[in-house]
Amino acid sequence: MSRPATVMMPPAPNREDIGATWEYLQAGISKIMINLQDGMDMGTYMGIYTAVHNFCTSQKAVGLSQTGSGAAHRGAHLLGEDLYKKLIDYLNGHLADLLEQSKAHAEEALLTFYIREWDRYTTAAKYIHHLFRYLNRHWVKREMDEGKKGTHDVYTLHLVQWRTQLFEKVSEKVMSAVLMLVEKQRNGETIEHGQIKQVVDSFVSLGLDEHDSSKSTLDVYRYHFERPFLEATSEFYAAESTQFVAENSVVEYMKKAESRLNEEEERVRMYLHQDIATPLKKACNKALIADHSTLLRDEFQILLDNNREDDMKRMYNLLNRIPDGLDPLRQKFETHVRNAGLAAVSKVASDAEKLEPKVYVDALLGVHTQYQGLVKRAFNDEPEFTRSLDNACREFVNRNEICKAGSNRSPELLAKYTDVLLRKSGSGVEESDLDAVLTQIMTVFKYIEDKDVFQKFYSRMLARRLVHSTSTSDDAETSMISKLKEACGFEYTNKLQRMFQDIQISKDLNQGFKDHSKQLSEKQPLDSTYSILGTSFWPLAPPNTTFNPPAEVQDDLNRFTRFYKNKHDGRKLTWLWQLCKGEVKTGYCKSQKTPYTLQVSVYQMAILLLFNDKDVHSYEDIASITQLAPEALDGALGILVKAKVLLQKPDSAKPGAGQTYHLNYDFKNKKIRINLNIGTKSEAKQEEVETNKTIEEDRKLVLQSAIVRIMKARKKMKYNVLVGETISQIKGRFVPKVGDIKKCIEILLDKEYLERLDDDELGYLA
Amino acid sequence: MATSETTIVRLQSNDNQVMDVDKAVAERSLLIKNMLEDLGDAAASEIIPIPNVTEPVLRKVIDWCEHHRGDPPASNEEESDTRKRTTEIEEWDQKFMQVDQEMLFEIILASNYLDIKPLLDVGCKTVANMIKGKSPEEIRKTFNITNDFTPEEEEQIRRENEWAEDR
Repeated sequence: MSRPATVMMPPAPNREDIGATWEYLQAGISKIMINLQDGMDMGTYMGIYTAVHNFCTSQKAVGLSQTGSGAAHRGAHLLGEDLYKKLIDYLNGHLADLLEQSKAHAEEALLTFYIREWDRYTTAAKYIHHLFRYLNRHWVKREMDEGKKGTHDVYTLHLVQWRTQLFEKVSEKVMSAVLMLVEKQRNGETIEHGQIKQVVDSFVSLGLDEHDSSKSTLDVYRYHFERPFLEATSEFYAAESTQFVAENSVVEYMKKAESRLNEEEERVRMYLHQDIATPLKKACNKALIADHSTLLRDEFQILLDNNREDDMKRMYNLLNRIPDGLDPLRQKFETHVRNAGLAAVSKVASDAEKLEPKVYVDALLGVHTQYQGLVKRAFNDEPEFTRSLDNACREFVNRNEICKAGSNRSPELLAKYTDVLLRKSGSGVEESDLDAVLTQIMTVFKYIEDKDVFQKFYSRMLARRLVHSTSTSDDAETSMISKLKEACGFEYTNKLQRMFQDIQISKDLNQGFKDHSKQLSEKQPLDSTYSILGTSFWPLAPPNTTFNPPAEVQDDLNRFTRFYKNKHDGRKLTWLWQLCKGEVKTGYCKSQKTPYTLQVSVYQMAILLLFNDKDVHSYEDIASITQLAPEALDGALGILVKAKVLLQKPDSAKPGAGQTYHLNYDFKNKKIRINLNIGTKSEAKQEEVETNKTIEEDRKLVLQSAIVRIMKARKKMKYNVLVGETISQIKGRFVPKVGDIKKCIEILLDKEYLERLDDDELGYLA
Repeated sequence: MATSETTIVRLQSNDNQVMDVDKAVAERSLLIKNMLEDLGDAAASEIIPIPNVTEPVLRKVIDWCEHHRGDPPASNEEESDTRKRTTEIEEWDQKFMQVDQEMLFEIILASNYLDIKPLLDVGCKTVANMIKGKSPEEIRKTFNITNDFTPEEEEQIRRENEWAEDR
């Protein structure tokens, strides 16, 4: 069946004659459907509109049907059903023609045919919709208002007919043509993708909501386009990726997959409907990543070992696209970092006894910095990876070869390194860089489990720095304390802060004492300063030797004591002689015009001052006058002898009874100021042992007080719950052993803070 | 499509009178607006035949369109119920509608044909106001309607519509 190329319009019809009216309209519609490119004149347009209007408004249509039987109840009788039906018949005829013609085409030609006819049809539909507007406004509106299903406005009617009469019969063929084009493009050929876009648009337009034709749904498009498209995509990539991984390295594959995924995203943007983006991505992710995830993950260790950052980033990005894709990576990463940390420690651990704190901390930091960088650059700084990093660091910081000797080694070495940094002329670190280094210290500190050990060592060393005024700067000290406070809270740094304050207060006190002394107008034998330190804040023990200070010192001391008691009545002062030091000048050296200044401990000072009276003293004399216990005396003498300030006779290795000491008039030294106040190795060692011992004792107290606090709040608690609660409270300071907690509970039961109740419960006794 | 304010279209009534109208004014008629859009510039210079409307009526309608050229486009199809229900008519339109009955009905028919919804509304409201408050007999008189009901029929209708009576 073919239609004439040009359509002559018959004369305008009698308004009441459906036959004549339709004949007129059909000629016009055919013109629009087939020959619109030839243009249309106003007369025809108005003619058709008027014909429709006139038919619908005719008083008595000579109709084929008598739908008006119930019209009395619907108010005015609206005409139009006949026209509507005729229009459907016409469209069906036209579409049947098209269906027939479509059979002559296949593949790309079919696509071209489909798009051409679709365009023509929808353009015509728009015209006809306007021309039949009178029908739309009245008859169709009434039908729809009355809820008649299957009646649509004229444009929608066109779409519905297209869908049922043509689309459902050709869509599969059209779609396979589309898929073939896409496959060609995936294989690297250039295609005319505008056509696909038009097909997509057509499919989307056909999604009409059955219940409300003014709304559209994507159902038709999803079923006829998306579904086959996704299937084809999955198939294509399953085949391609399987072949590719068989022939190429994993790294190459990742690059391929990455570019394929980008391509598909671009494809959506170029010519697909946005609706497909998510399912398409999912399909690609599955075929390209999830189905090969084991292979990818197995490669990860190799990439880690070779530090292939870019490839790891690639892998991260790929596996990040699939659910649970990264978990195995994180586990591998954690293990790897832990091993790297352990290896770094082993490297420096060859001589554990002489290990420099800096070397150790640098080893820990090195690993952390390296992998933190990796997390940032390759893993998108993802919190989950950071957590894996933290876990790994915590492991190797607290449990490594160095810590085998004692789990306190990490915090101890870290504290020592901090001391090196904060002590004058210790580290060679510029003051401007100091804060950055301290921040690094805090990085390691964060991982330390036994934070109480660090605190112990830190406070001892801070005490030493403060007493001997060897801090690099007050600013650095406060900065470090505030960093610790930030990390562990007020309680953790309370004592440190008080120590710091004591020193500040002592400064004012000394000024006061100086002013006071001037008023006394006595002769000042000594230029002295005193530090008054609160016993409970400072980790300092009273001297372990008796001592009889030299008269010069004693006088000044008495004066200060009176001054202090006057100010603060009732406070007890205990002199920590072992920490006292001073300077003496040599007035006797033959070789030197300017006298030497000797920096000495107060014990050494007491010994040296004896030589103001006599050039020679026996060991026994010195011991009896100074009242020093042998260990203290031997240490002090040893250094003086070694420095050749005193000469020991006979010259045996160690000071002791029976020896005599002679003032060395020929003393010579390159420096004018000579520091003789040097602690001996054994002293330092002993301090370490002591510190470690106090830690265990302190922990017991901390545990007990935590238990009492918890019980006081809860009154009654199950045994196991109490143990758990205690662990969670203490965790921030150290990791308590369950056995220790049980011991502490026993102690508290004995002391009657707690009582045993039935059913494994404990009660609090006020 | 260039729709500058000054474009002129030519309308021809069914008695072959041609009148020039601003395109913006003519486009108050959705029929003309859609047609100009569909046919495009190629047809723009043609005379537009309006086969169902006589010259006096067409002029009257154009007057109305001229006056309302600046009105905001009605909020498509469904207007708010309240506006639809009131029978209030703005002053200018009231004056505009002070024409003989025949003209009034011609205007209503023309606006229905030309698809000028607001004008159709004004026309129908005018008729409604003419009916309001009148008895059936008065209404028949007003519109010159002969009563072709039998008394029985009339009684039945009255009973069926009792609910609507204004008591």
